[in-house]
Amino acid sequence: MRKIPIVLVLLALVLGLFSRAAAQEPPPPPSAGQSIDELKKTALKVFLDCDSCDLEYIKTEITFVNYVRDRLEAQVHVLISTQSTGGGGIEYTLTFIGQNDCQDAKDVQRYYSVKTDTDDDVRRGLVKALKLGLMSFVARTPISCRIAVDYTPPEKTAEARDRWKAWVFSLSGDGWFSGEESYSSRMVDGSFSANRVTPGSKLRLGLSANQQKQRYEVEDDTGGVATYTGTSSSWDASGLYVKSLGEHWSAGVFLEAESSFYSNIDLALAFAPAVEFNFFPYSQSTRRQLRALYTLSLKPMRYREETVFGKTRETLLKQELSLTLDLREKFGTISLSAEGSDYLHDLSRYRVDTFGIVNLRLYKGFSVYVLGGYSWLHNAQISLRLREPTYEELLLRLVELPMNSNHFVAVGFQFQFGSIFTNVINPRFGSSGGGGMSISIH
Amino acid sequence: MTKRTASFALLLAAFLAAAATAAAQAPAPGPPGPPPRPAVFVDGPGLDIAFLRAEIPFVEFVPELAAARVHVVIAPAGPPGRGGFRLEFTGLREFQGDVNTLHYEPPAGAAPEEARKGLAGTLKLGLLRYAAKTPVAKDLSVKFLDQAKPTSVNDPWDFWVFSLSGNAFLMGETQYKSGSYYGSVSANRTTPALKVRTQVYYNRSDTWFDLGGGDIYESTTYGYGTYGLVVKSLGEHWSVGGYLEAESSTYSNIRLSLSAAPALEYDLFPYSESTKRQLRFLYRIGLTRVRYDEETVYFKTAETLLQESLNVAYEVVRPWGKASVQLQGSHFFHDLSKNRLELEAELEFRIWRGLSFEIDGSYTRIRDQLALSAEGASLEEILLRQRQLATGYDYSLSVGFNFSFGSTRSNVVNPRFGNGGRSISISM
Repeated sequence: MRKIPIVLVLLALVLGLFSRAAAQEPPPPPSAGQSIDELKKTALKVFLDCDSCDLEYIKTEITFVNYVRDRLEAQVHVLISTQSTGGGGIEYTLTFIGQNDCQDAKDVQRYYSVKTDTDDDVRRGLVKALKLGLMSFVARTPISCRIAVDYTPPEKTAEARDRWKAWVFSLSGDGWFSGEESYSSRMVDGSFSANRVTPGSKLRLGLSANQQKQRYEVEDDTGGVATYTGTSSSWDASGLYVKSLGEHWSAGVFLEAESSFYSNIDLALAFAPAVEFNFFPYSQSTRRQLRALYTLSLKPMRYREETVFGKTRETLLKQELSLTLDLREKFGTISLSAEGSDYLHDLSRYRVDTFGIVNLRLYKGFSVYVLGGYSWLHNAQISLRLREPTYEELLLRLVELPMNSNHFVAVGFQFQFGSIFTNVINPRFGSSGGGGMSISIH
Repeated sequence: MTKRTASFALLLAAFLAAAATAAAQAPAPGPPGPPPRPAVFVDGPGLDIAFLRAEIPFVEFVPELAAARVHVVIAPAGPPGRGGFRLEFTGLREFQGDVNTLHYEPPAGAAPEEARKGLAGTLKLGLLRYAAKTPVAKDLSVKFLDQAKPTSVNDPWDFWVFSLSGNAFLMGETQYKSGSYYGSVSANRTTPALKVRTQVYYNRSDTWFDLGGGDIYESTTYGYGTYGLVVKSLGEHWSVGGYLEAESSTYSNIRLSLSAAPALEYDLFPYSESTKRQLRFLYRIGLTRVRYDEETVYFKTAETLLQESLNVAYEVVRPWGKASVQLQGSHFFHDLSKNRLELEAELEFRIWRGLSFEIDGSYTRIRDQLALSAEGASLEEILLRQRQLATGYDYSLSVGFNFSFGSTRSNVVNPRFGNGGRSISISM
């Protein structure tokens, strides 16, 4: 125990050092840097509104602006919204919204990443698009006199002929394995897709399969070891063709074949024509959409085990209407959907599913989010097993259980005050998050 | 196979044929050619167009408005005698609606040559937004000529940020319900010289099962604690700091533990390169006083422990992908055989164009479960993972690959019928 006092002394010493350091900021650098630091004080205040950006990298690469943590403090609110492209990449739409004394200015810039880009390619591309877009605002601040623009014209232009006629193919495989002495789990899946997306039509074909297995060893009262194992697997093949009919209408057809242990489905096929109406023009879809989709599907089904309705196979005719609202505004994100379906041979079998995410930046430093869903079911679990589930199936949630409703809801708030600037990156001792709940939506 | 399946196959074939014809009818891509620079018409008194051409090579100055995509009107403005100008930018044709106004005023006592250059500089920055929307963008680069300190701001709060947050997550169906709650208060201050993190938190989770036949299973786990971290920078490679922590957790059988741990870190690369690469060595020595909920497998209800640990972390982000490896070892001083070794690694690698590979894994050799309850856990607690269990190791491994080919450079966005769904991930 003699070591302890030494540690305490060390700790006191270290803490003493900190309180001194905290009390006095390092002295200002010699006068050469003085003027640029004065310019930095009047630099553009930027609020970066982006969920999928490498913010630390952006802040280390673009240092001629000041970053603030609250949108209302900013002179420009950069709202970055994303959509996937036909090539499998991402379209980043950068909307620059002038505020306070820059109220009269606005701009929209775009950056496209491609599927084969690495994280580093993407963050460098985004930084470039951001820099170019910020210039119309930075030019209003005195620091702009310290910015240089280089232009290196290309020797010859790269040719951009598409010999694949917009087809994109993708093959992927994944495996997850984890365990300890008395527990192990394994999941594997594979998928193949072929897509062709043009403004006039969209075609998606996909094939996927997955299997998972969990194993528990539990000591029973007699001292013996009992092993509980749960396995489930599923596969799915699907196709979708959509034809564009102007800025508000689309028509298409879904095709699907699937099998699932969880849902007691040996083989389910579906042929489903559908039509969609968007209340907003499709060209605004990165910021706002309100889509109504009606689907009528013909579904031949074959079950693994007899269902609660005494069937082992049947053909169903199902209709479905869904409404989806997606908004991305300065004040936050709103995404709501409602879906209702029933079976035409027996209209008393229906289900209604609702889902919503609302994330609002209400007032200076105060933000709230609500995320939730609620489903009502009325004899709608067509494929439910007749037999009772085993104890392991119940606890490990390997099979679908009868239910009349299910719900989930997450709510939270955050209130921040204090310094508005978030310019500083300090990577020392790692970036310890310190727990908490985080929700990300893509 | 049944008749139904056969008719389905027929439908599928018809569908594919329809899709194929649609694909064949797609319009051909536009004619190839060199990327044209945006055409600009500048309207203003006594402008030296030759000078502007030399200063702003990424646009084409045209002599008449009819040929222009951008119209700029430069007019004297501001207090007379100061030589100020107003620049009004108006987008035409494809830039319709793209407008902006800038001002330029030369510094007091500037030479005419300096003022002329300054005005051209403002014009140049104002034109960038148009060039950015053309293929010219990829040949442009914007550079800041100085290094400005991130702390050069007028901040009455002296970089302190306080935050309060509360979260709840509830879910349920007829036979199952669960709820998780998390709340925290934190005060942080980040400057290049010093980093301070403090937090108080509480979390709780409830589970409820209807096992059928009137059997109900119910349980609650919770934890709370506080921690503080202070890190002082000592140059580009060294940092020194300390942790103070207090925690209580039913999952870990800890009624209350208090610990203090000074620490020292060395980064082989300068910290300023941290977003590109890091190789950090973090040494920590900590004294902990802990009281347990239930007697442990070592027959203790309370004890004082001294522990040291070394963590080596390597992280790199490069155009080919990214990698990170972390190795951590620790042991207790009262019994050197009570130790732990943890290895974590992650690699994302683009092997060749569309072929990429990902691996993410961890392995821990565990010899230090001092807090394990002697009482053990029930079957339900084991299956629902509500109790820490005795184990000598744990591991996880995830591997994946993706191979994409075809028109992977296509930028077309088609949001119809949804864009492949949403994914939501929640982590506690």
